[in-house]
Amino acid sequence: MSLKPFAFVLLFSIWGCKSEEEKTSSLSRSAVLTNDGASIHYARSADPKTLDPVAQLDQISGSFISNLYDTLVEYHYLKRPYKLIPSLLEEMPKVSEDGKTYSFKLKKGVYFQDDACFPDGKGKELKAIDVLYTIKRFADANLNVRSWFLLDEVIEGLDEYREKTKTQGSGKVDHLTEKVSGLEKVNDYEFKIKLKRVNPRFMYSFAASSLAIVPYEAVNHYKNEFARHPVGTGPFKLEKYKNKQTMTFVRNNKYFLKYPDSGEEGDKEKGLLADAGRKLPLLSSVKIHFIPESQPQMLKFKKGELAWVGLDRDNFIKMAIKDEKGQFKLKPEEAKKYSLYTEPGLSAFLYFFNMKNPLLSQNKKLRQAIVMAIDINHKIELLRNGRGNKLYTIVPESIAGSEKDIGKLWYDYDLEAAKKLLAEAGYNDKSGYPNLTLTMAGSTSVHKKDFEFIRNSLAKIGIILKPDYKTWTTHTQTLVKGEYDLASWAWGADYPDAENFFQLFYGGNIGDSNYSFFNHAEFNNLYEEIRFMADSPEKFERLKKMMTILKEEIPFVLDYTPLISGLIQKNIKNFKRNIMMYLPFKYINVEQIVHKSD
Amino acid sequence: MLSYIIRRLLYMIPIIIGVAFLTFLLFTYFGEDPVRVALGQHATAAAIEELRNLWGLNKPLYLQFWDFLVQIMTFDFGTSFTTGESLSEIFREGALVSLKLTGPPFLLGIVINIAISLVISYWRDSYLDHVSRFIFIFSMSISYLIYIILLQYFLAYKLEWFPIQGYEEGFSGLVYFILPWFIMILVSMGPDIRIYRTIFLDQTKADYCRTAKAKGAGNNRVLFVHVLKNAMIPILTHTVVAIPFLITGAFVMERYFGIPGIGDVTITAINEGDFPILKGVTIVMAILYSVFNLITDVLYAFFDPRVTLD
Repeated sequence: MSLKPFAFVLLFSIWGCKSEEEKTSSLSRSAVLTNDGASIHYARSADPKTLDPVAQLDQISGSFISNLYDTLVEYHYLKRPYKLIPSLLEEMPKVSEDGKTYSFKLKKGVYFQDDACFPDGKGKELKAIDVLYTIKRFADANLNVRSWFLLDEVIEGLDEYREKTKTQGSGKVDHLTEKVSGLEKVNDYEFKIKLKRVNPRFMYSFAASSLAIVPYEAVNHYKNEFARHPVGTGPFKLEKYKNKQTMTFVRNNKYFLKYPDSGEEGDKEKGLLADAGRKLPLLSSVKIHFIPESQPQMLKFKKGELAWVGLDRDNFIKMAIKDEKGQFKLKPEEAKKYSLYTEPGLSAFLYFFNMKNPLLSQNKKLRQAIVMAIDINHKIELLRNGRGNKLYTIVPESIAGSEKDIGKLWYDYDLEAAKKLLAEAGYNDKSGYPNLTLTMAGSTSVHKKDFEFIRNSLAKIGIILKPDYKTWTTHTQTLVKGEYDLASWAWGADYPDAENFFQLFYGGNIGDSNYSFFNHAEFNNLYEEIRFMADSPEKFERLKKMMTILKEEIPFVLDYTPLISGLIQKNIKNFKRNIMMYLPFKYINVEQIVHKSD
Repeated sequence: MLSYIIRRLLYMIPIIIGVAFLTFLLFTYFGEDPVRVALGQHATAAAIEELRNLWGLNKPLYLQFWDFLVQIMTFDFGTSFTTGESLSEIFREGALVSLKLTGPPFLLGIVINIAISLVISYWRDSYLDHVSRFIFIFSMSISYLIYIILLQYFLAYKLEWFPIQGYEEGFSGLVYFILPWFIMILVSMGPDIRIYRTIFLDQTKADYCRTAKAKGAGNNRVLFVHVLKNAMIPILTHTVVAIPFLITGAFVMERYFGIPGIGDVTITAINEGDFPILKGVTIVMAILYSVFNLITDVLYAFFDPRVTLD
């Protein structure tokens, strides 16, 4: 009997057979409306490393966790500069007169999702005991190394508690029953936290996904598997997770938050307040696809199979243009199909001068000449397609304490002035010019182009610059040891506070985050003052003084802050890029189905 | 033959220890520091110290190496630094997926490439031979990545003949494999056909072919019966040695088509400095390579009576 017919049947059945995934996506594309609400598809480049809040600090894991769990406070979705608002809390905590004791009140009627870890499988109500348990678990040295810095030396007795977990070993300290002097339960819904010293920044820690509230029942029930079995109060529940393939979130019908009823200027006109006051989440489900490469991500988006997507440099050039006001917009043919979003990032790019190096540290005019010889605006246009803003203080614009509050306190590009400064520094055709090395934190084409730009800029004033391309870890080791002349660096905000950026030059942080080895008594004193100050005119006055010192002493070359951009399908509503909330699924809504015939 | 196999298996022990030593040396001294990668911008001295302790990287190097050897002996490579998942589980799941991706085009590629090589050899020095030589050399000069990017763009996105990427278990999930399989076969054609053609031409010049022709055998019989049979020995060597690479996956292909095999796991581990995964993949690769080399030698003796194994 010939096998030919069977072979053809097999071939055509494979070819013609569309998978379940394909059937859904080709019918619905990026979004589908059902009686229960809308469902969207979205892609991320990698799986979360873990879904246990305490074991992570990376953006990807954190973005998933914040959809499954809640924190005590969160950043307002629409308002800028970024502002903390209560989430699990009834109101922002009351602070005692001495500024050291915080009294918290939890919302009533917040429930964990139903799960087998609870009696009868019914999710219990969130109580103060869960919050205190989470804080103590967060302090466990056997579980948390990555994000401990958030509460390091902050709460009375918590550092000692951490030491105890370290000495007694994994699983030996019972976080439910052990006492911490600075943590006090008042009743089921109220608790107090006593700080070691006044610290208004303390509340930022409670917006971090690492401090999302977990129920002890789930931790005890799932043990090592807890990282794969999230049980939170969050807007979504994890329905399905296939490693390196897909993750499906479904709505948590018990969710308690509502869509914000106010935003910043222009939000209403953009339709961002159309769902104000509505119960969240607005979507019934979200399917996340893990797609590591940008080409398949973009192709799937263009086919209408993803709700929104980040825009890389190559696609940005192809699809976007700058208008006469200097604002980015999509090219007309693209604008018919998609919308563009842009949002200033919360990171600062810079180049450290090694202040341990006598050639640089003893020659301020040389440092100033270098700073003034580099045309940062030209670099942004040439190498970043204009997607960035030149920094005039170390703080990015979206954070209080930036140039908007303290003014422009950095140098502009001035080649002639740079040449003059270099001559005053003692360098000329007769004496020769300095030879310096720029250490780069990578060797990709981006790093190489950046280096070439700086090399070319400095060559115009006679300085000879050599590259030293390193991997990320060898780069940081080089910086810690101070074995460089100039070194590239970038700092992303841990929390939206100017202090987080000024600490890069605090003498007490030398070797930890201060890699320029800059140590200035007045700057240090001012930093210690602002370290625990809330945003206020008094704080901004001190920040201004600090920035003036940095401008005077020039321990670094100030570069730029990037502009984050991406594309959204036309039917996706309520999308506003919030850098502190990477995946705002709970606020997203869908206008209509994008139809595309198979 | 049994004593030969036992001897070769014993030879594998110093080879694996050597590979383990080199791997350990490379990742310890030249690789990314996993602790700094994990901590990112928060790599303070205290945090580095704590994480090193937690991951056992503060132990003396000889103890770390000994732990590694114990892991190899027990075939338990522990857990991933970044996800905490068991490596045995990662390998078990990943290897099967990788095999699903690489196995079918490998087998189909052998059949197709041998068939084309035979045809080209039959008409050697003809117009067909010259044109095909040009096409295959040209195709070999193009990067693997270009095939993936272009064919994914045109065949999956523009023409919509295939899904862009994805993975699903079961029969219905095969639709996601068709384009990667097609690309893999296409990419294998250039180098494989060039090799097979050379092997076939070498055989056609051998004495036994002249003898067969002298005895009255036609060109077809000489080529498809005598030459094909004798050429199978070098082809077999070429083929069996490639099998370990099927298990460890196709790195770039898996990433572009969203296929969760060992290749994808390995690239992610390189990016994140996940030393346990990299150690595991390297050692598994070394063991597989040694074993399949042994199998090749045994098969060689089995198929060629002139070869004896002492």
